[in-house]
Amino acid sequence: MNRNVPDWWRKGATWLWRAALVLVGISLAMIAFRAPIEAVMGPVQKIVYIHVPSAIVTLLAFGIAFAAAIAYLATKQWIWDAISAASCEVGLVFATVVMISGPLWARSAWNTWWTWEPRLTTFFILWILYAAYQVIRASIRSSSKRTISAVMAIVFFVNLPIVWKSVEWWRGSLHPRSVTMTGEMRQVLLFSMMAWIVFFAAVLERRLQLEWAREAAAREAAARDAAPGGFQPGAPEARRA
Amino acid sequence: MILRADAVRKRFDERTVLAGASLTLAPGEVVLLSGANGSGKTTFARILATLLPPDDGEVLLDDEPVGERRRAARRAIGFATHQPLLYSGLTPVENLEFFGRLAGIAGAHAPIPALLERFGLTAFAHVPLATFSRGMLQRVALSRALLNDPSFLILDEPYAGLDTEGVSALNAILGEGRERGTATLLVGHDHDRAAAVTTRRVHLERGRIEPS
Amino acid sequence: MTFLTVARKDLMLYVRDARFLATLGLFSAALVLILSVAFGPIFRDPPLEAAATIWAALFFAGVLGLSRSQDLEAESGGSDALRLTGADPFALYLGKTLANILLLSAVFLLLLPLTAVFFDVGSLKALPALLCVVGLALVGYSAWGTLFAALARGLQARELLLSVLLFPSLVPLWIGAVKLTHALWDGGTIEPVRDWIKVMAVMDILGLALAGWLFESIQEAAE
Repeated sequence: MNRNVPDWWRKGATWLWRAALVLVGISLAMIAFRAPIEAVMGPVQKIVYIHVPSAIVTLLAFGIAFAAAIAYLATKQWIWDAISAASCEVGLVFATVVMISGPLWARSAWNTWWTWEPRLTTFFILWILYAAYQVIRASIRSSSKRTISAVMAIVFFVNLPIVWKSVEWWRGSLHPRSVTMTGEMRQVLLFSMMAWIVFFAAVLERRLQLEWAREAAAREAAARDAAPGGFQPGAPEARRA
Repeated sequence: MILRADAVRKRFDERTVLAGASLTLAPGEVVLLSGANGSGKTTFARILATLLPPDDGEVLLDDEPVGERRRAARRAIGFATHQPLLYSGLTPVENLEFFGRLAGIAGAHAPIPALLERFGLTAFAHVPLATFSRGMLQRVALSRALLNDPSFLILDEPYAGLDTEGVSALNAILGEGRERGTATLLVGHDHDRAAAVTTRRVHLERGRIEPS
Repeated sequence: MTFLTVARKDLMLYVRDARFLATLGLFSAALVLILSVAFGPIFRDPPLEAAATIWAALFFAGVLGLSRSQDLEAESGGSDALRLTGADPFALYLGKTLANILLLSAVFLLLLPLTAVFFDVGSLKALPALLCVVGLALVGYSAWGTLFAALARGLQARELLLSVLLFPSLVPLWIGAVKLTHALWDGGTIEPVRDWIKVMAVMDILGLALAGWLFESIQEAAE
């Protein structure tokens, strides 16, 4: 297995990055110039163009991780675990963006940093669970890491809809449901969503390349040991000499 | 029934422990597997006992990969290792009854008194394990391994902690098993103590198993 | 039945571990005491404060109990011996879950009179309904808790991770339990908050179903 990903992947990846950067660039320009300044809140309202797409991307990421985890348990192929873990990690980053942009907006919209309103609360829970995922995955050294990670990705994701609904019933919703948006605002929002999804795909792809390299290195080490006369018991450092 | 490990490989992080180890356990054999400390003997024993999945290669029961029929295979295997695999808050009888019931042995209680008798544990049958010495725990652990009258015995350092009587009891049981067609793998360095019952010797070196 | 055998074994081990039981009982009782002092001496809304207190105490008792449940296996050499018996993994899981439900029920029975006295709440009439609510909550808590405890076993900061995992993901259970308990202690009827029963039941079933699907994988990922 080659340390570098196959050519077709690398070519596709370059185009993906270029597309992502261009789209995000355009979207930022649109946010700055095309999106009208909202009457009540002022320029700060434009955080919504980062906040909402990040939230969408987060859910997308964890959904992908969920599906990949199922695929891993079914097939035991490493690539599914790689996709699942990479998606959880990137998803956590976007969840952090949501957790930072949310209170920023809340502060200007409702004059408070935090309320126990459903979506923010659910995303907070999400953030905690997937942060725990990273901690647990990092601390398992054995081959059971992949299975345990897959189980976590499945269990956490399945739990989400119920948690969401429950918090909604508990609290009632302060979050604007259908925001009154002018045509231009909707345009900018939709474009931003698309741009951020493409960006997510690009970041995920990069993260996957890292997993690929790891797996290739591990297989090289194993092949070296399996070769006749190749295996010297002892510390890895000594062996590599 | 024949239990076979075929070109088993196992890595822990960066360290390769087994690099294509193969072994066949046939009825009536008592195989002694020795090797340097840290050579991977325990890892191999666990893989053969279906407790640990190999990275490569497979374990076969009668030429069929154990994977699908793992649970059925385990009922035919008796396993003992460095840890007693027992509950220290329970007595020997309670432990054996518990494992017997789980293994689906009908009339789970029946073979227990006889088994404890053979290992000289009758006097301690109703004492919680927390107070037992190393050697006594080992005897109870061996009883547990033999509980389901297994076709395959995989014992890792079985003589550790046993006094002369314990060694005799174990050898007697291993000898009987050999006659009855049980296939046994003994892992460890006890060439002397196991000499009477051993039929074959192999050693694990550089991740592979070679005849001694 | 396998799961009954496993539950019995776990309960026997709990009962014989006086130190564990004492820790569990004293810790949760102390929590009730502390919260009643914090809310008191004049309680603004005793049914609500009492409901919150008893469920907070039960939550932490559960974390202790669930950790211990997995540690029992770790002390005896991992779940190797259990796997070697060739027993059905789901039955092993159910047995542990049942033992945890019973253990936590015992803690509840300890905390109930304490809470009733300190907060001056409770009514015999509402007791049967209350026991049903508690049963519903504990089934869900144990079902998910045993699953998570098995996931987190062998990790250093086990109890910490468990509390971090168990509270957020079981939020529907906690909200439901507190609301229903509050309603029962407030008016003796759950009518206004009936829907939470459905939510909790869904959580219970979902937890058991997930465990049924995934527990063998978790168990075999032992080392």
